[in-house]
Amino acid sequence: MASLSVTPEKNTSAAPPAEEKAFSPHDFSMVFALIAIWLFFAFSSPNFVSARNLSNLAVELSITAVLALGMLLIILTGHIDLSVGSGVGLLGGLAAVLIFEHGWNAPLAMLVALLAAILIWAAMGTLIMTQRIPAFIITLAGLMVFKGLHWQVIHNATIPVSVGGAENLYSLLTTWYLPPLWSWVLAGATFAVMVYAQWRERKRRAALNFPVPAKDLAFSRLFITGQIILLFVLICNQFRGIPLSAIILAASAVFVWALTQYTRLGRYFYAVGGNEEAAHISGVPVTKVVIWAFAIMGVFVALGGFLQTAYAGASTTTTGQLLELDAIAACVIGGASLKGGRGTVAGVLFGALIMASLMNGMTLMAVSPEVKYIARGLVLALAVWLDARLGNAR
Amino acid sequence: MKPPILRAQDIVKRFGPVTALRGVSFDLQPGEIHALCGENGAGKSTLIKTLSGIHAYGSYEGELFLNEKPLQLKNIGDAERAGIAVIYQELALIPELSVAENIFLGNEPTRGAFIDWLTVLGRARELLGRFEVNIDPSTRVGDLGVGQQQLVEIVKALSKESQILILDEPTAALSESEVLQLLDILHDLRAGGLTCVYISHKLDEVFALADRITVLRDGASIATLDASETNKEEIIKLMVGREIGELFPRVVPENFSTESVPVLQIENLSVEPPEAGGQALHDISFCVRPGEVLGLGGLMGAGRTEVLMHLFGAWGKRMAGSVGLDGAPLDKPTPERAIEAGMVLVSEDRKRYGLLLEQMINFNLSLSSLEQILAGLFIDSNKEAVRNQKIFSDLRVKAPSLEAVVGNLSGGNQQKVVLGKALLSNPKIIFLDEPTRGIDVGAKQEIYQLINRLSEQGLAVVLVSSELPELMGMSDRIIMLHEGRIGGEFSKAEATPEKLLSAAMGQQAQLV
Repeated sequence: MASLSVTPEKNTSAAPPAEEKAFSPHDFSMVFALIAIWLFFAFSSPNFVSARNLSNLAVELSITAVLALGMLLIILTGHIDLSVGSGVGLLGGLAAVLIFEHGWNAPLAMLVALLAAILIWAAMGTLIMTQRIPAFIITLAGLMVFKGLHWQVIHNATIPVSVGGAENLYSLLTTWYLPPLWSWVLAGATFAVMVYAQWRERKRRAALNFPVPAKDLAFSRLFITGQIILLFVLICNQFRGIPLSAIILAASAVFVWALTQYTRLGRYFYAVGGNEEAAHISGVPVTKVVIWAFAIMGVFVALGGFLQTAYAGASTTTTGQLLELDAIAACVIGGASLKGGRGTVAGVLFGALIMASLMNGMTLMAVSPEVKYIARGLVLALAVWLDARLGNAR
Repeated sequence: MKPPILRAQDIVKRFGPVTALRGVSFDLQPGEIHALCGENGAGKSTLIKTLSGIHAYGSYEGELFLNEKPLQLKNIGDAERAGIAVIYQELALIPELSVAENIFLGNEPTRGAFIDWLTVLGRARELLGRFEVNIDPSTRVGDLGVGQQQLVEIVKALSKESQILILDEPTAALSESEVLQLLDILHDLRAGGLTCVYISHKLDEVFALADRITVLRDGASIATLDASETNKEEIIKLMVGREIGELFPRVVPENFSTESVPVLQIENLSVEPPEAGGQALHDISFCVRPGEVLGLGGLMGAGRTEVLMHLFGAWGKRMAGSVGLDGAPLDKPTPERAIEAGMVLVSEDRKRYGLLLEQMINFNLSLSSLEQILAGLFIDSNKEAVRNQKIFSDLRVKAPSLEAVVGNLSGGNQQKVVLGKALLSNPKIIFLDEPTRGIDVGAKQEIYQLINRLSEQGLAVVLVSSELPELMGMSDRIIMLHEGRIGGEFSKAEATPEKLLSAAMGQQAQLV
């Protein structure tokens, strides 16, 4: 059919008042939690706020956050991936072995590991959807299989990411820094793009008679973002500049944000997780969508694997262990629903920052591993509990 | 008049700034069936929640009286102890448990620390027998039809020695024969002294059953009338507060021709149900022409929904037969391919198959037609907003904006969003499975008008309905299904309720 015979409507121009939903109680409690964590570590271990440590924190954050961004896609579709940590170990180890033992050049080795990751994760997605085996089970099996494969690939040894400590693309991932001057340029450009995008979005919404967020709210949001960028660059420049891994994280975040907000596939992620049956009846190719989510997760697992292995300098049997739980925790803390259909990139980055800060601070304070485990677990439980409580209050 | 068993006086209930009830008074005589009528949003559900203790005493203004003594319900348990039982629209049974287990859930007879299963079964059988419900108490509830589940719910409520039974839209999911059985049971219960509050959109049932009718509008009680002294037209007028000329305003498009080439042609279709169950289909043939409204009727479980879902690629395995859409065969359909080919389905269960309740209207509207608004890889949100805004105003969805969350809308407006989503995919044929289920009179009228406009534009419509008046009123041609086969086909002129019902019950011989 072409179009409905238009009944003359007079009131479309009367835009209803804008709904102000700047921050939810969940957002507030998470910001508060982050500030509390930072204050606590800053007082109990002054090194926490040193430029060097904050730069380290940025690298650690990028590892957790890259994995959490991939996990977000899978959680949006209502599934879960428990195999991330083992995958990180396997793929980082595979690239290291190809370089260190077989003399491959780093870009080629990393490309092969990346392709392997995409294939493996797409295969897991296919099994989950076509054979109707729960993702929990398939990826739990993956957790064990990949761990075994990882150990086999590195034959339980320690495999450096480069021969004789030389620099290569792999090792540079966590040791290269954008020089201070360029860091300012990049930060300035980023901020300018954000201001422009905001301005354009407001103009377009106004032109379409959509509710436009209040001016002062938009301004203060931009102002705070600008402050954070400024502070970030100031601190990074006191050390060596913006770490490459932070730039990788920013690029990944922009990619996932654009994917989830502005592409058909992204809409379908939310649709499949929100109500799979309704999505199916609406013509969404549910099976393909989930396989895509897993394939993209493969990319992020490989990326996380390279970052994590490069950060440690070598692949060992414990590389990547339990990273899946940090990634899931980051998503949940960031407000993603494990039932699917709800979650945002900003929230996940925030959740990852909380998890990374916690781990970094505890390491600085020389907290014993057993206490670290307990603390991580409690934070996860607390986040889910808070989410449930605040969710009910809404 | 006897003193009322239950009386509500000037109940006012506010949710924040919204006033849901602005002064409702009504009284319930012992042993009567009292119907509550009103459009969606008139305050019926809020009133029930007040009577059943969900809205606790103190959260509303006004007073309830039980046998003329003030009644202060703090929770559902209080209401149960006061003898008030409510059966909600959405069934509250556990499908994995047996009928007997469900009836005594939370109330199991024990022997020491253990549940006495023999007593459970025995008492369940006795209860079912008392109400002449012919169901084996050890059947799994999930294996029963919706209608039988409804009866189990009622038996469960009565097992708690309730004196007042409140039924919220009990027949929304029932077929005609199941409705009749339910009405019989309610008549018997009334004869046995039970008092009943009955809420329904279906005025036929209301008049078949009720002694008195209270009409609610915009949160206020407008009038209480004796059923014998009023009629449907008056009640509808009171409900909507305005005149509604005709109930079923079907207009056949002027350029419609019975000689035109069918848009959908189905021949000798036989389908096996998937493991999950459903009625197998046998040897189904029919066609639909552009601009035509084909009604598809039948009893519950006759295979109406199955036909639509199968054609749409979402149900069953095709064993034989052919389906042609616009001349091209549609052999292995999936919903994706069907939509691409110009077929679209609006499911009877909009919460399950229609909507993403957590998402905005905009998101839901676009879901089936994102390819129209792509600019390269990305969605052109500008184009999307303009396009969706147009259908949003055309369909007169009552919501603050395109960005309102669908879960917060009323049933009628949710249904409009589902329809909008379907229409945006530019279909040639649209399947409407119970499009007016659970929505109020005003929104029903809008949907009927929409059907007229769509057929005027040459769209073919297949309308499934369990309400015979709607089926007869809106269809140009009617096919009745009986146990997965075509039980009879009737033109609008031929169709009478008697003929349609006999065809639905497989008694074609009597027709001739």
